[in-house]
Amino acid sequence: MAIRARYLTGCAALALAAVAVAPPAIAQQGSTVDPARLQAAEQTPNDWLTYRGGYKSYNYSALDQINTSNVKNLQVAWIHMPGRSTRGLQSTPLAADGVLYYSGSYSRVYALDGATGKMIWSYFPELDEELVSMQTHSPYNRGVALGDDKVFVGTVDGRLIALDMKTGKPAWDTRLIDSKKHTVGFTGAPLVVKDTVIIGSQGGEWTSRGPLFGVDMKTGKKKWEFFTVAGTEDAKATWGNESWRTGGGGAWMPGGYDPETDTIWWGTANPAPLYDWSGADWQKSGPRPGTNLYTTSVIALDPDNGKLKFHHQELPHDAWDFDSAVGEFVMIDRDGRKLVVHPNKGGFVFVYDRTNGKVQNVWRLVKNINFVKDIDPKTGELIGRRDLSLGKADSPLCPAIPGGISWNSGSYSPKTRLWYKIGQEWCQEIEVVKTTPITEPMAQLNIGANFKLVPPPDGPARGHLSARDPVTGDKKWEVTYSEPPLASILATGGNLVFVPDARGVLHAYNAETGEELWSHNNGVGHNGGIISYSAGGKQYIAVPAGWGGMVADEYPPLFGEPYKSMPKDAGALIVFTLKQ
Amino acid sequence: MRSHPAAAVLMRISKSIILATGIALLWTLGGHAQQSQPPNQDQAASPNDIEGGQMFATSCGFCHQDGGRTTGKGPKLAGTTRDNDFLAERIRKGKPGAMPAFGNAFSESQIMAIVAYIRSLEE
Repeated sequence: MAIRARYLTGCAALALAAVAVAPPAIAQQGSTVDPARLQAAEQTPNDWLTYRGGYKSYNYSALDQINTSNVKNLQVAWIHMPGRSTRGLQSTPLAADGVLYYSGSYSRVYALDGATGKMIWSYFPELDEELVSMQTHSPYNRGVALGDDKVFVGTVDGRLIALDMKTGKPAWDTRLIDSKKHTVGFTGAPLVVKDTVIIGSQGGEWTSRGPLFGVDMKTGKKKWEFFTVAGTEDAKATWGNESWRTGGGGAWMPGGYDPETDTIWWGTANPAPLYDWSGADWQKSGPRPGTNLYTTSVIALDPDNGKLKFHHQELPHDAWDFDSAVGEFVMIDRDGRKLVVHPNKGGFVFVYDRTNGKVQNVWRLVKNINFVKDIDPKTGELIGRRDLSLGKADSPLCPAIPGGISWNSGSYSPKTRLWYKIGQEWCQEIEVVKTTPITEPMAQLNIGANFKLVPPPDGPARGHLSARDPVTGDKKWEVTYSEPPLASILATGGNLVFVPDARGVLHAYNAETGEELWSHNNGVGHNGGIISYSAGGKQYIAVPAGWGGMVADEYPPLFGEPYKSMPKDAGALIVFTLKQ
Repeated sequence: MRSHPAAAVLMRISKSIILATGIALLWTLGGHAQQSQPPNQDQAASPNDIEGGQMFATSCGFCHQDGGRTTGKGPKLAGTTRDNDFLAERIRKGKPGAMPAFGNAFSESQIMAIVAYIRSLEE
């Protein structure tokens, strides 16, 4: 499948010599998953305690039992079939003390023995099925969170549920969103910070205000709510004609947490309608005049009370659906600077000062971009905006609506100091249409255009995995795929990078060179998050297979088979380990 | 492919309440009254209710690409061989795991306007 075009600089080979041995695994058997343990998640690689393996969003495992020399001996250890995997299996598992926790469609949660796959407990929430049948971005679930010896999961009908970690019995079940009115609920994983469970709602093209919630971990009581649309009086002034009432927004992917400054970093979704007919006059006319804070922004909040500390709007008045909802905030200390790296859906990567949110650099992960000419790397200011007007655009908009970057995570290896990230190359023909928000009797999508995905000007639609310096964007190597992989990436202390691809093949590459060392066909496309953990002294790689997300749905017309006939209701958690 | 000029005329006409009402009447006279009754069927039509093209670009074009002219997340609708009953019922009830049900969200006038828009598309 892969069109292989690898670029290796001499520096990457030299960097091998400086790689340190992975830190030893710290035994945590039987201990409580408390705030201190979550904060130290990166130092306890036997576990995978948060959505991205730790608050720093590295999506990295320091385990090195499986490595470049023996990965050829990797084989399936066990498989779990969750059933009813409508729209695939999009979640990222967690692991603690040798037990693996994961969710499937309809927010079904499983606890499995990490060594054998034996079921410990399962929990199937009773959902409002009639509501589910009326939802577009549903019924998939993208993950759970751990804390206070509970497992937390959101539901598409607007609830956050806490389950006892040992038994799976509900401890509390709190409704946070009136989903019968707003139509949307929760699909993303929560993030636990100290004694608060934080979860963001869906939104974007949905005509609401996209709230983010802080909930008391012990009681389930709501502590705070922050509206990503007009969350402050200052922000309200950035929505002309009271358009904030149907503004969209949302915060549907979990963000990161910086314990040093006690700050959560969260990415927000786009305003509604997605596309705007006002052209260059967007400050004064059109469906939502103004910059539309805090949509398509990164926001820094106090986790205890939800108060805004600072923000940066990556795309003021986003008129292209290139939101900031990707919740990956890669926290790196370099040359005395405390930085955070955040990918934007439009294909640019922003680097911020972690202490104040000031832009330190902006670089391109993707080649085919024309919604702006550029973004100023010093200030983050958009240069040469392409604001569309009513009617058919004279040339395709790039990237297409699935973005240059999708929502699944890349991976940063502290060992190689490289960030491994998938980019997507495609464009779309577009015709902007005036629309009116529909809010009654229940909110509906507000798109504002007709569009059609097409190949980019420089070749076929495609994807690429590149290994880069996360701060400068300097590329060490790249592998190109005939179709963009849509799953998360995992780098490990064994100098491996695992890429679960769209066709269903799991690849293992040499993290320094991009050389493919091993692959295995899991039989159906990947659309979730891959992790590594240890149980009984053995390292495991766990990857959900199961196809059917919103971006995946674009593949049949673009790429034909195997996507035309690929099931969108199948899923399996497949776990690998080394042959004995 | 763009809409045929005659279809464009139909589109403009479909903006009128008169046509939407007419379609509704024909629908009933055509013996389709046995279809499932959405709860908001009697909701009064407004100009926004019955502009099928606008409705489509608001909520349908996200999946049915190029205004329904080509296959996207959802199937191509231009030139569909499905009859009006089928299209309206699919809009009302959706398809589990693939398409949402809009029967509780859209009025009958809106659903019919969307069907009229689909019929106006040139294959």
